[in-house]
Amino acid sequence: MVLTTFCSAEEALELALPGSAVAVGGMHMTSAPMSLVREVVRQRIPIQRLITSPSSSLQADLLIGVGLVEEVVTPYIGFEHLGLAPCFRRAVEDERLSLLECDEAGLTHALYAGAGGLPFVGCPNGIELTDIPRVCPELYREVDDPFTGERRWVVRALRADIALLACREADEQGNVALGRFPFTDRLMALGARRVIAQVERRVSSEEMAAHPPGTTLPGFLISTVVVAPGGCYPTAAPGDYERDEDEIRAYLQAAQRPDNLEAYVSRTIRSVPEPAYLDAVATRLQPAPTPATP
Amino acid sequence: MSAEYSRTQLMAVVLARSFRDGEVVVMGAVPALPLAACRLARTLHAPNLSYVLGGSGAVNPTPETLPLSCCDPAVATAPCTLPVAEVVLLAARGGAFDVFCAGGIQIDAYGNCNLSAIGDWDGPRLRGPGSVGLPFMPMFRRTVLYTMSHNPRTFVERVDFVSGAGHPSSPAAERGYRQEGPSLVISPLATMDFDPVTRRMRLATVHPGISVEDVRKATGFELFVPSSVPTTPEPNNVELTELRRLDPSGVLWHDY
Repeated sequence: MVLTTFCSAEEALELALPGSAVAVGGMHMTSAPMSLVREVVRQRIPIQRLITSPSSSLQADLLIGVGLVEEVVTPYIGFEHLGLAPCFRRAVEDERLSLLECDEAGLTHALYAGAGGLPFVGCPNGIELTDIPRVCPELYREVDDPFTGERRWVVRALRADIALLACREADEQGNVALGRFPFTDRLMALGARRVIAQVERRVSSEEMAAHPPGTTLPGFLISTVVVAPGGCYPTAAPGDYERDEDEIRAYLQAAQRPDNLEAYVSRTIRSVPEPAYLDAVATRLQPAPTPATP
Repeated sequence: MSAEYSRTQLMAVVLARSFRDGEVVVMGAVPALPLAACRLARTLHAPNLSYVLGGSGAVNPTPETLPLSCCDPAVATAPCTLPVAEVVLLAARGGAFDVFCAGGIQIDAYGNCNLSAIGDWDGPRLRGPGSVGLPFMPMFRRTVLYTMSHNPRTFVERVDFVSGAGHPSSPAAERGYRQEGPSLVISPLATMDFDPVTRRMRLATVHPGISVEDVRKATGFELFVPSSVPTTPEPNNVELTELRRLDPSGVLWHDY
């Protein structure tokens, strides 16, 4: 049983232990827990292993770019139509980052295994025809299927010490609502030893009850809630606001060169405390289409 | 090339025509082109087609403008959404999904795709985003490969890293569960399919204004060219009208 604490991003991350395995939620340029990620950057918390969702973007590239990540487990870091992830690309090409190459299914099953106490899970067909398992013995091993005798790849369970997630709402008991797209954020939360959730707003338990089953997580799994309206900015929060593509492009432009990135991070993140950051972006949030249900 | 439509629009129309009624299509990142093709097919000849956006898991979304990201908030208004973990289950078991729209930073003569690394995996010349769902390619009834860049760097004899498997290059590499494999390749220059015997890519049609020689030069491997190569049929007015209706902001006017 975990008692949920409500606090600022700064306080939430002060409790994070350096050298942890950190899972960071959100897919592509949507629902990235940027308030928490920015605070990791400000406090310069070293991450021994970063575990991304099946498709990550700014939340991973920024942490890699500022040199806080020793090892990354990821099936994809990129910016879709905006191009490759500049810091991830540079760090791998310069061999400064340890990469645990994996695929979407392998990662998802590994998170599921981590959440459920399974030591490993058999991989679906198709993986043996690729080069992925052979370059990542840390996660993939070949075993004899005890039922058929066939050789099969299995993927090892993954658990994070800390999961950083962006949720839509939290109530006073620390229950959180994940919103329209659960991505793998749910699995990350179920498996992590500690979950830090940033939320757009705090609501009553009655309002929380309006969320359909399967879209919420109980407060006893959530260690810390940070109320951070606009906190996914510049990525999108479905039902709340669109991504700011101009700001993402500004990051991508700066991130082409390490010195420019350093100046960008110093100016836009390190010199601005998170509450001031959120105040400043509040007027730039463009409302997103709202689904019929919460 | 006629000024009345863009190459991307032509590609979307070619992809739409390849879909059959009742099929379930899955697409990944940067979904505008395949999403437009699915919606076009549903309107024109495949009313029971379903489509799933990987990442968000949105099923049959009809956003007002074509989204550039598969997790765009605009697709949150889809009538149904599958959590990504369930999309992974359905893709892996086979039989639930029919068509995979895939691609890569390299595509080879056998239809293998690479999204991970060019050069050695360990210390690559170019690190790509990663393989994501490409290992599922053999689990779909068929895979359609599309790319916005047809040049010798993208179309190579052998990919540097296999993210998703195409056709086996020898009978020994055959696996019982594999289905049709990559069946169609759509590029800004041409469409290609695969020779049933050699399993290698062959030229099927060239787009209007493009010559066979243009395609040969832009391809980094020995592309099989049949004795007769027709021109890709141009989009008709009905197709173009519908495309413009579902893409009012003109995303497909640009070769993104």
